[in-house]
Amino acid sequence: MMNNTEQNANANSAMPSLELMNEVQQFLYREARHHDNEEFRDWLDMLTEDIHYWMPYRYQRYRRNEKEPTILDTAYYNDDMDCLVKRIIRTETGTCWSEDPATRSAHVVTNIEVELTDNPDEFTVYSLNTVHRNINEDESHTMVGHRTDLIRRVNGVLKLAKRKIILDQNIFTNKSLNVYL
Amino acid sequence: MPINNNGSRPDFSRYMDIDEGWVDRRIFWEREIYERELEQIFAKAWQFIAHDSMLPETNDFYTTYMGEDGVIASRQKDGSVRVFLNSCTHRGNKICYADDGNTRNFTCNYHGWAYGTDGELKGLSNEHVYDEGDIDKSKWGLQQARVDSYKGLIFATFDEEAPSLEEFLGDFRWYLDIMLDQDDGGTEFIGGGIKNYINANWKFGVENFVGDAYHALWTHDSGFKAMNNNQGFPPADPTGSYHASVNGHGWEFGTDGLADIAILGQPKVLEYYEKMRPKMAERLGEMRSKIFGSLASVSLFPNCSFLPGIQTFRVWLPRGPHKFEMRMWTIVNKNMPDEIKQAINIGCMQTFNPAGVLEMDDGENWEGNTSVNKGIVTRKGKLHYGCGINRRIEHEELPGIVYSSQFNDSNQRLFYQRWADMMNADKWSDVPTRYTPRYTGKKTV
Repeated sequence: MMNNTEQNANANSAMPSLELMNEVQQFLYREARHHDNEEFRDWLDMLTEDIHYWMPYRYQRYRRNEKEPTILDTAYYNDDMDCLVKRIIRTETGTCWSEDPATRSAHVVTNIEVELTDNPDEFTVYSLNTVHRNINEDESHTMVGHRTDLIRRVNGVLKLAKRKIILDQNIFTNKSLNVYL
Repeated sequence: MPINNNGSRPDFSRYMDIDEGWVDRRIFWEREIYERELEQIFAKAWQFIAHDSMLPETNDFYTTYMGEDGVIASRQKDGSVRVFLNSCTHRGNKICYADDGNTRNFTCNYHGWAYGTDGELKGLSNEHVYDEGDIDKSKWGLQQARVDSYKGLIFATFDEEAPSLEEFLGDFRWYLDIMLDQDDGGTEFIGGGIKNYINANWKFGVENFVGDAYHALWTHDSGFKAMNNNQGFPPADPTGSYHASVNGHGWEFGTDGLADIAILGQPKVLEYYEKMRPKMAERLGEMRSKIFGSLASVSLFPNCSFLPGIQTFRVWLPRGPHKFEMRMWTIVNKNMPDEIKQAINIGCMQTFNPAGVLEMDDGENWEGNTSVNKGIVTRKGKLHYGCGINRRIEHEELPGIVYSSQFNDSNQRLFYQRWADMMNADKWSDVPTRYTPRYTGKKTV
């Protein structure tokens, strides 16, 4: 379930440099900070134009019946740049009542692994994103996303090109998913 | 009005006055009322179980709930579907822990009692520990529900006395065909589905879809602008739009054929339907072809809803008085090109799921509607349901109880009237039919 075979097909077994690992780590932390601070336009700048942001439905089946989600199935997110921009526009309208007062969130990114690919400008990056959300008077939720990213160097700068997020819940236990996993 | 405190029968019609236009808040909070709902509504009414397309092959199964009773829907060799309790008759453990899949039997994890996909008890592990005569396996199968279907939607009830599904749906079939029979080949669900919990009373979800066009303009202003190039909803136009109610099922709708499809934010879907509309009109008549795609929402009593045009389809499964599980899918026409199915699925999911730009604002409201009733003073108050109370009309084409203007509380009032009718009834024959049927025994296409 965690492995994205499509991305792994190009895996290069050489170790990434410490410098690259540091750069990727800083990239993911910066992204998390933009999310915590609701700096969504800054976040969009960290994505490539051909971004695919995907958080599929997770089947809960017997092992003998296991089934991988496809991009044709239902999904929490199955977004291109246009879709993501629409989500951000919603928060900028001034009439997004459920976001006022603002959501308090902490995006904690851990378990970062960088894998080289055959393309020297593209890296497969695994990470775990634990998001703590606190809203309204005292409603507190924790959500965990297992992420497989494709990060690409564009004009010398790292950008997120693909993200697949696997939620560790079957029934999503919250009324809304207004934070990015 | 405490229930049964003096041994008298409770009268649930006292929790509302649909002529004055109010509903008592306690029906959204009190545990005794909820327990009564499980007994009077969820153990008696026909409920949506699954779409045919979710169980395409023999031995495919899907697990869900009727009220809080876990059930398994299972496709039989002869193509029919059986629905039975998901609980072993030995010590009661669940016999299926998966959401769906394909199996030759359901075997209990506890002692290995094995049931066929027909729900009959087939075998016991280490059967020799039983003496002859200890158990007659033919008497210890799983309790079966009655099952019927309407144009791809599978329904079940645990009440042998319930009227036929056709009578339960009544003239609402005329409206359902707008969604289910607009094209040769009918409908299917896109693979997967999303499930989430909302800490609200289940009726708030159902009543929102049964008739609440009003909230869309305010609650969803931000989501609508996001999906529609920063343009808000057009101002509320009470002309050319309606509420229609049949046996507590309700459809609120405009007749521009456009607004809900536009919310998908997928221009090629709009184009597709524009090309298809003359065919739809030929099949369903001009009026029904214009209802499809307009600003609209629908609920089937008691707990199934959908949005024609946006194509989200869902059930609201009760999980106690203050919590429900929402299960949602995308419904499409089987004969649509894959590219259109996918565009609808993406637009539908982007608007209506826990991360949807419209849905995100709904759950927050319904949790607030519910949780405030923790307050004893708050709970004793009434809620206003009086919008459009004098707008009832007779319409030559539209069956059911019809009110003009989709900005109306009529379908909600009639949903709660049906709720009270069922809560009060000792048996199905005590549940009144409150509309004048036009299509009894007749096809609606």
